[in-house]
Amino acid sequence: MSASSIETQVLVLGAGPGGYTAAFRAADLGLRTVLVERYPTLGGVCLNVGCIPSKALLHTAEVIDGARELGERGVAFESMSIDRERLSKWKDKVVAGLTRGLSGLAKQRKVQVVHGNGRFVDPHRLVVESERGSVEIAFERAIIAAGSRPALLPGLPEDDPRVMDSTKALALDDIPSRLLVVGGGIIGLEMATVYAALGSWVSVVEWQDGLLPGTDRDLVKPLEDRLRKRLESIRLATKTTEVVAEKEGIRVAFQSSNEAAASGGGGADEALFDRVLVAIGRRPNGHLIGAQAAGVKVDERGFIPVDDGQRTNIPHIHAIGDIAGEPMLAHKATHEGKTAAEICAGHKVGMDARAIPSVAYTDPEVAWTGLGEGEAKAKGIEVEKAVFPWAASGRALGIGRKEGFTKLLFEPGGGRLLGAGIVGPHAGDLIAQATLAIEMGADAQDIALTIHPHPTLSETLNFAAEIAEGTITDLYLPRRT
Amino acid sequence: MSDPKEVLVPVPDIGDFDAVPVIEILVGVGDRVRKEDLLVTLESDKTTMDIPSPAAGVVREIAVAVGDRVSQGSPLLHLMEEVDDDSKPSATPPTSPPSSETASPSPEGADDSPLETEPESLSASPDESMPMTSDPTTSAGGSESPALVEVFIPNIGEFSDVPVIDVLVRVGDEIAIEDPLITLESDKSAMDIPSTVAGTIAEIAVQSGDRVSEGALVATVESLAPSATPGGERAQAGAVDPSPAADSNASIDPKPPASSAPVSTPTLDDPRAPRGSPTASLAPEPERTHPLSHATPAMRRFARELGVDLLAVKGTGRKGRILREDINIFVKDALAKTSASSPPAVGLAPIPEVDFAKFGEIETRPLARIKRISGPHLHRSWVNVPHVTSHEEADITELEAFRQSIKTEAKAQGIRITLLAFITHAVARALKEYPNFNASLGPGGDTLVLKKYVHIGIAVDTPGGLMVPVLRDADRKGIYEIAKEMASLGERAREGALKPDEMRGGTFSISSLGGIGGTAFTPIINAPEAAILGLSRTRMRPIWDGEAFRPRLMLPLDLSWDHRIVDGAEAARFLAHLSASLNDVRRLLL
Repeated sequence: MSASSIETQVLVLGAGPGGYTAAFRAADLGLRTVLVERYPTLGGVCLNVGCIPSKALLHTAEVIDGARELGERGVAFESMSIDRERLSKWKDKVVAGLTRGLSGLAKQRKVQVVHGNGRFVDPHRLVVESERGSVEIAFERAIIAAGSRPALLPGLPEDDPRVMDSTKALALDDIPSRLLVVGGGIIGLEMATVYAALGSWVSVVEWQDGLLPGTDRDLVKPLEDRLRKRLESIRLATKTTEVVAEKEGIRVAFQSSNEAAASGGGGADEALFDRVLVAIGRRPNGHLIGAQAAGVKVDERGFIPVDDGQRTNIPHIHAIGDIAGEPMLAHKATHEGKTAAEICAGHKVGMDARAIPSVAYTDPEVAWTGLGEGEAKAKGIEVEKAVFPWAASGRALGIGRKEGFTKLLFEPGGGRLLGAGIVGPHAGDLIAQATLAIEMGADAQDIALTIHPHPTLSETLNFAAEIAEGTITDLYLPRRT
Repeated sequence: MSDPKEVLVPVPDIGDFDAVPVIEILVGVGDRVRKEDLLVTLESDKTTMDIPSPAAGVVREIAVAVGDRVSQGSPLLHLMEEVDDDSKPSATPPTSPPSSETASPSPEGADDSPLETEPESLSASPDESMPMTSDPTTSAGGSESPALVEVFIPNIGEFSDVPVIDVLVRVGDEIAIEDPLITLESDKSAMDIPSTVAGTIAEIAVQSGDRVSEGALVATVESLAPSATPGGERAQAGAVDPSPAADSNASIDPKPPASSAPVSTPTLDDPRAPRGSPTASLAPEPERTHPLSHATPAMRRFARELGVDLLAVKGTGRKGRILREDINIFVKDALAKTSASSPPAVGLAPIPEVDFAKFGEIETRPLARIKRISGPHLHRSWVNVPHVTSHEEADITELEAFRQSIKTEAKAQGIRITLLAFITHAVARALKEYPNFNASLGPGGDTLVLKKYVHIGIAVDTPGGLMVPVLRDADRKGIYEIAKEMASLGERAREGALKPDEMRGGTFSISSLGGIGGTAFTPIINAPEAAILGLSRTRMRPIWDGEAFRPRLMLPLDLSWDHRIVDGAEAARFLAHLSASLNDVRRLLL
């Protein structure tokens, strides 16, 4: 064990998308910056075991499903075989390429990367422990970007490789014939989509009474309809009461609070699965970094409260990303990271984004930004809704996907765009335009008068705005009186 | 049925003032106010102004504190408005927006979207929500219970330990809002402390001779306005779900947190969901009650860099979007304003501080409030405006004789006819003749704003200090009317009862020291006006009329003028014209 010490202007704890962005921005602004990361590679959950590998697999799933669907159009591929190992290696290569790239970017900027577990010892010092010894880092300002970890279900069999979290599921060690996904949120449904495409017989169980809880129900419906056709089962309003590792599989007991199921047979049943993926949310890592030694306040759940300059209660210590609060999204973290770094450099900036888009990269994709319809209702905000069904979009029909729709919510009386929800292939790409429109303060007329390329799915935003304006010609709407 | 609607009461148009401090809050949460009841007092440049309520209702929340700086449009308080209108359920019925029907009658896909959302609206009908609102107006029948409200000494400037010289009420007295309770002796004048509530005096906490400061209890009043019932509080707390379903994926907790249920769960009678669900009229929406500024992210960042509050910036872009130029202009204006008001405006070294006590005994007293307010304003005018003062005399022997002759007649009509009324009338007419003296420089100083109206400010010496009420449309009023109005303005100025409107909009000022003395002085222009007329003491003087010295009553006229707007020749002509009209009142007919 050797002990050494470093002095720096800015310390960034955690090299996920928020952390490395903050570190790189701070360095670019001329600040001496140290980046602490507990894993050997940079990029955090997103790059290593999150967004990137899952999207690599989801794209593969999309192509597989697309190929299968071509059968209806008279195009059949003789046989499809999946080489799990090669697929997994390809995915790892994508990730490795990106993380290597990040290390290069850090070097070019002279950001010093220290690997190991970092814990604050006082408001100006952090100690990093690793196998190679401990390093003490004295800092003027710190940016905590220590992220989150998968939440665990209590009472799970320990050390059984058949019970996985999202990280293990992305490792693709096996394509189980029968997979249970516990949790009907974004991560659970994305992994269900991947494994279903690879040939698993997938069940999803969600404790709340709908998939993607919190998302507008109309947006979820087309996704749920499609999933129900492709998955073995979707159990809603159902708790997982017991998970027992048996030799031939994992036995899971369910208890449904759904009235229909309950009246049917007490609502309790059980089933045997080859593997179980637990994706019930993520927990912020606020309690794992010795924050109290620095005087930084952490709430019960592990979040670190911050102001609009990402400052914690200790003004020279910032927190960004998952650890700083919902939504736990990489693009929120990077934006916050830049804000925090710029404040460290003395810029007068702050987080004042009016919309943070969310995307479920399922099939179809579900994306939303700004104000949701349910949220508007709950808050008593009046909105004017305009929905364009993709069944009237030539492009959507051309790709064989008419189930989608584009929903825009405006301030009543010709006001600005407040929120948008899109379901359908590429919804995640399309939502960017709506987010830009919200930030720019565009109203229905602005969007309706912007020429969109034809035939594209992006037109659906144009059409929805035309519906709000009453100028739509691609649909016939009875005259408003 | 009366239907309560929560409205946000913003600061109304308060003229050109910006970021004025709140010096007093005249209502409390739960108070019922009538339309035009006074809510808060703001301190502007020259005076205090009371902001009246735009509507009747019950104060639910006060958005400002004493000392806060507010501008036009800043939120002051939330009022649960009482409107008698049973034809409409609510301003914002919580049903799904009408466009949901017109927007999706499409062939397919349409059947998907609206179905899921429809049931939610069922749980939130306006009728169901009524029991939760604890609407005070519905309880007017009998359950109104008197509440004890304490009245405290408001902000009385920097004074403290001020002696109570009179207690004006007794226990059991019925009082209305604004009725004076006690009188305090301040620096120079007595000030009455008014009641902030209506009701019956239950207890008096001070007596003559006591010394009090801001915040001291004056009296306890049994108020008739019902206070917010605890039920109302609960209704509000329950109706609004503060915490969004954060970890919605988490299914560990077997008991669903109540907070995550209502939004996505269209159950009709979920016991956890607040009955009647959030009604639009009740749910406070801190985000949306203040309209978001119309500015792009880059401009929002730019504004933040400069510390500009975008809500105060007027956008000139399409649909009112705030452009970079708008922010630049806003900052330039703000800089111009602050540099004008900051003491060493011309970059001079400040006057060094002197330890006067070294040279003898001293006593330090606070400057009277009006002086503290008017001081910087006068200083700003003095430093910013190139002043020149011209002197002239008017022979008012005939005028005075005429005035004396009609005095009794005027008195019969209840009018005290003063020399100042004649002079004001003459000045108003002279201003029509010489419009440059009724003008101001435009922004940037390269235009002249000629005013088609003549509003004359009359400086009045009051116990608290100098005040300048404005006599409107002096050019369109007769001498009697002017005299009458001046008497009323002067009286109310001395009582401190002038409304803000009565102290702004002046185009020219008159300062008369004639009743006191002096042969001449150099008045300071009340910028941005172009000039001010000073009147010194009238004296009987021997005047050579070409043949002999004759005793004539001479009035010294001192005209200070802004040399950027007028020049010496114009000023001389203006004064000659004024002098001539005063010499011979018949000219006022011309």
